[in-house]
Amino acid sequence: MARLNTLRYGRAAVLTLTGAYFLVPLACAVAFSIGAGVPGQDIGFEAYTGILTAGGFTDSLALTLELAAATIVLVLGLLVPALITVRLAAPRLRTLVEIVCLLPLVVPAVALVAGFSAVLGWGSDHFVGTPLFQVLVELQNPQFPLVLVLAYTLMALPLAYRTLDTGLAAIDLRVLVEAARACGAPWPRTLLHVVLPNLRGALLNTAFLTLALVLGEYTVAAILGYQPFAVWILAISGSQAQMSVAVSVMGLLVTWVLLLIIATAGRARRPKETS
Amino acid sequence: MTDLMTDPETISRTRTGATVEFRGLRRSFGATTALDGLDLTVEPGELVALLGPSGCGKTTALRTLAGFERPDSGKVLVDGEDITGVPAHRRNAGMVFQSYSLFPHLTAIDNVAFGLRMSGIGRATRRARAAELLELVGLPQHAGRFPHQMSGGQQQRIALARALALRPRVLLLDEPLSALDAQVRLTLREEIRRLQQQLGITTMFVTHDQEEALSMADRVAVMCAGRLEQCAPPAELYERPATAFVAEFVGVMSRIPARAGADDGTVDVCGRTLPVNGTLPGAAEVAGGKGEVDVLVRPEAVEVTADGEGTSRIVGASFLGATTRLTVRLADGGEVTADVPTHTATTLPVGAAVTLRLPDRPVLVDRRRGNGGGDRG
Amino acid sequence: MSAVQTAGGGTRTRSFSNRAGLGSASRRIPRSARWLGAAPLLVFTAVVFGVVLGTMVLGAFTTPQSAPGGARLTGANMSSSLQGPYLTALLGSVKLSAVSALIATVVGLPIAHVVVTSRFRALREAVLAGSGVLANFGGVPLAFAFVATLGNAGVLTSRFNLLSHGWSLYSFWGLTLVYLYFLVPLMVLTLTPALEGLRRQWREAAHNNGANAFRYWTHVALPVLMPSLLGGYVLLFGTAFSAYATAAAMVGSSVPLVTMQIADALSGNVLVGQGNIALALGVDMVLVAGLVMAIQLPLQRRSARWLA
Repeated sequence: MARLNTLRYGRAAVLTLTGAYFLVPLACAVAFSIGAGVPGQDIGFEAYTGILTAGGFTDSLALTLELAAATIVLVLGLLVPALITVRLAAPRLRTLVEIVCLLPLVVPAVALVAGFSAVLGWGSDHFVGTPLFQVLVELQNPQFPLVLVLAYTLMALPLAYRTLDTGLAAIDLRVLVEAARACGAPWPRTLLHVVLPNLRGALLNTAFLTLALVLGEYTVAAILGYQPFAVWILAISGSQAQMSVAVSVMGLLVTWVLLLIIATAGRARRPKETS
Repeated sequence: MTDLMTDPETISRTRTGATVEFRGLRRSFGATTALDGLDLTVEPGELVALLGPSGCGKTTALRTLAGFERPDSGKVLVDGEDITGVPAHRRNAGMVFQSYSLFPHLTAIDNVAFGLRMSGIGRATRRARAAELLELVGLPQHAGRFPHQMSGGQQQRIALARALALRPRVLLLDEPLSALDAQVRLTLREEIRRLQQQLGITTMFVTHDQEEALSMADRVAVMCAGRLEQCAPPAELYERPATAFVAEFVGVMSRIPARAGADDGTVDVCGRTLPVNGTLPGAAEVAGGKGEVDVLVRPEAVEVTADGEGTSRIVGASFLGATTRLTVRLADGGEVTADVPTHTATTLPVGAAVTLRLPDRPVLVDRRRGNGGGDRG
Repeated sequence: MSAVQTAGGGTRTRSFSNRAGLGSASRRIPRSARWLGAAPLLVFTAVVFGVVLGTMVLGAFTTPQSAPGGARLTGANMSSSLQGPYLTALLGSVKLSAVSALIATVVGLPIAHVVVTSRFRALREAVLAGSGVLANFGGVPLAFAFVATLGNAGVLTSRFNLLSHGWSLYSFWGLTLVYLYFLVPLMVLTLTPALEGLRRQWREAAHNNGANAFRYWTHVALPVLMPSLLGGYVLLFGTAFSAYATAAAMVGSSVPLVTMQIADALSGNVLVGQGNIALALGVDMVLVAGLVMAIQLPLQRRSARWLA
C-alpha cells in the first residue's frame, strides 16, 4: 500500500508541475491582457472587446482563413489520390511518395522562404515581358498570395501524410474496395461512398492540423512581406501589447477546443481502438 | 550452477515441487467479481489445469499467485508459507504468458538469462545456463534470434525456458497455447507436459480449452463465477461430475426430461426406472416428491433404435469416423445428442422415428430447465 | 521542420507495403494509368521543390547579379556562411537546440507516461489535444504568452521583481524556457504511441524474473523505448533548430540564431547583397536537417518493429 501511495504522489507531482508550467504562462497572459498584475493599469476587457474592431484584424484573419482553405484543398487534393493509388494500384510507388512527402522536413521554413524569395527575385529579373512574368506577379498578388499556398502546402505535407496514412492503415482499404466492386459499384461511387466516408476522421484531422499550421505560420509570410494573422499579431504588439496577447490566448484556446472536439468525435465513431 | 538442467534425474531428486494453497480468495474489479471465495490446494509436482468459461476468474487466480493481483481477502500459501504480501519480483514463480511477452530488445538467450542477470549471476555462468535451458526446450540454434525473428511457437518455447531459468517453485502457464496454430499447439502441449514431469515442478495451467485441460493435467479445476466447482482427475471429472455446471461444461451432455420415481433415489426416464447417481444440487428436493427433473446423459450412453412407433425423430447426423453423432428431437421439442457406431447409423437416416434407451446404470439428475434441451459442446 | 506527429500516428503505418500482387481491385485500370493518382503530388513537389531548392543551391554557389562581372560560380558564400557572426549564429542555434531538446526529452518522458497510464480519459484527451495545438500552432502566440509572463514587463517579473535578480527572458535560458513550451508537447506526442506499445506482459515478465520496478525501467522499458527517445530527441532538435517565429517575436533577444541571420540577410537589414549568403546559410540548414532526418528515420523504423 505504501508503494501504491508513493506512486500516486509521484503522478500527482508530475501532473502538478506540468500543469503549472503550461498553465501559468497562459493565466499570466490572460491577466496581462486584462491589465491585472501590471502596476498602474486598470483592469478591463478592452483588449478582448476591441479585437473585432482593431485595424487589420478582420483583413488578416480573412486572408489567413482563405489561405488555409486553399492549402487544405490543395493538400488533400494531392495526397488522397496519391495515397489511395499507392495502396491499391501501385505499391511500388510507396517509397517514392513517402520520401517526397517527408522531404519538406529537411528544409526548414526559413530556408524554404530563402529559396522562394530567390526564385521570385531571379524570375522577375529574367522573365520581364514573358507570360511567365505574369505568373510570377499573380503568385505574389497581395490580395491572395498564391506563393504562400504553395509554401504552406509543402510545409503541411509531412504531417498530413502521416495523419492520412495512419487513417488508411486503420481500414482495410483493399477489402473495402473489393467488396464494393463485388457489389457492382463503379469506381467513382466506390471512392465517394465507401472509401472517403471511412476516412472521414483522418481527413478531418488532416484538415484541422493544416489549419492550425496556417493560422500560426509566421516565418514565410513575414519574410515575404505579407500580413496574415500571426504577422498581424506581431505587428500590433508594439502599439497594443495587451491586445496582441489577448489574440494569442484566444487563438490557442479556440484551436485547442476545436482539436478536442475533433478528437472526441473521431473516437466516438470507433469506440474500441486496438492498441 | 550448471549441473541441474543437464540431468533431469538430478533435478527431480534435488527439487520437489511446492504445495500451493488458495484460501478463500476474493477479488472484485468494480462491479464484477472475479474471485468469490476460491479454495484450492495443489500438491507438490502436480499439474493442475484451471478450466472455465471466460470471466470465471481462472486467470485472476493465477495472477494472484504470481503477485500481479492482490486479493481483497483470503490468502495464498506456498509450502505453508503465506505469500499474500510478497511482491511479485520476490515470489520465485515462473510464468508463461499468452503471447508477446518476450522482451523485444533482447535475443532469445538474453531473454532466458534475464532473471539470472537480475539475481546478479555472472555473465559466463548465466549464458551457460541459458544455453542449457534453450537446449531443454529444443531451440539451441535460435540463441541469437530476436523475438520478431521467431514464430509464435518458438517464442513460447523461449518464454517457457525463461520461466524455468530461476528454478521456480511453481510454474504458471496463462493460456500459453491459445495464440498458436492447431498443429504447434499439439506438439507444444506434449512437450510442456514432458518437461513438467521431468522437472517435477508444481504447475498451474490456465486454459479455456477443455481438451487441452483433460489431456495434460493431473487434475482439472473447473471454475465458474469465481468459485471452484470441482477439482478432480480428468476421468473422474468426466464420469462423475459434481455439479450440473461441470457435467455440461466438460464434454457433451444432453438433457432428457424425466420424473422423480416412486421410490426415493430413482427417476422414471425413457420408459424405465433408474437409480439416481449422487446428489446434484436441487435434485435431492425433487427426487423425493413427484417433481419434474432432467436426466443428464453423455452421447455414448444413449442407445438409439429405429422404431416406427417412436415419438422421437432424428433431425441431424454428423460423421465422426468410427461413430456417427445423431441429433434426436424429443416429443417435447428438446434435443438429445447420441453417438452410435457408424455401421449401425445406416439404419438410422435423418427423419426416421426412433426410441431412446438408457443403459441400466445410475444417472445424473438436475432440476428441470426450460424446454430447449441442454445440449452443449 | 515543424511538428510531425499526431497522437495516434507513427507506429502502425505499413501493413500493405509488401503486397506485390495486384488484386481484382486494380484489374480494370490499364497498367500505364495505375500511377496516375500519384502524378499530381509527384509533379507538384518536383516542380515547386525542384525550382525552389535548385535556385537556392545555385544561388549559394554563385555571386550576385549585381556583383562586378555578374553571376559566376564561387565557393565564397558557403565559406563565409561558416565564418564570423554566421558561424556564431549557427553554433548558437545548435547549442540552443541541443540543450532544449535534451531537457524536453528528459521532462517529456515522465509526463507522457503519466498521461498514457492515466485512468482518466478526459485528462488524456485534453493533454493530447493541447499538445497537438502547442506543438503545431507556431511560435508567435507562445512567445507572447511568455513575454506577458516573464518578459521585462511581465506579470511574474514585476510581481516578484525578477529583473533585479538578474532574470532575462531574452537570454539563452529564457529562450530555452520558451522553446520547451512547444518542444515538451511535441515529445509527449512522439512518445505516446511508443508508451502505448509497452506491453503489460513485459513488466509482469520482468517482475516474474525477479526485477523490481526500478530494474524493470532500466533493463526493459528504457531500452525498448530508446529508439523512440533518440528519434524524438533528434526530431526535437530539428524543430528547435529551424524555429524562427518564437525568437523573432521576442524582439531584442541577445541569442544569435541562424534563422534570424537568414531573415536579416533576406530583408537586407544588415548589408545589401547578402541574399546569396542567406541562400548559403539555407543550404547549411538543409544539410544539418538532412543529417538529423538520416538519424531519425532508421530509429523510428526500429522502434515501430519492436512496439508494433
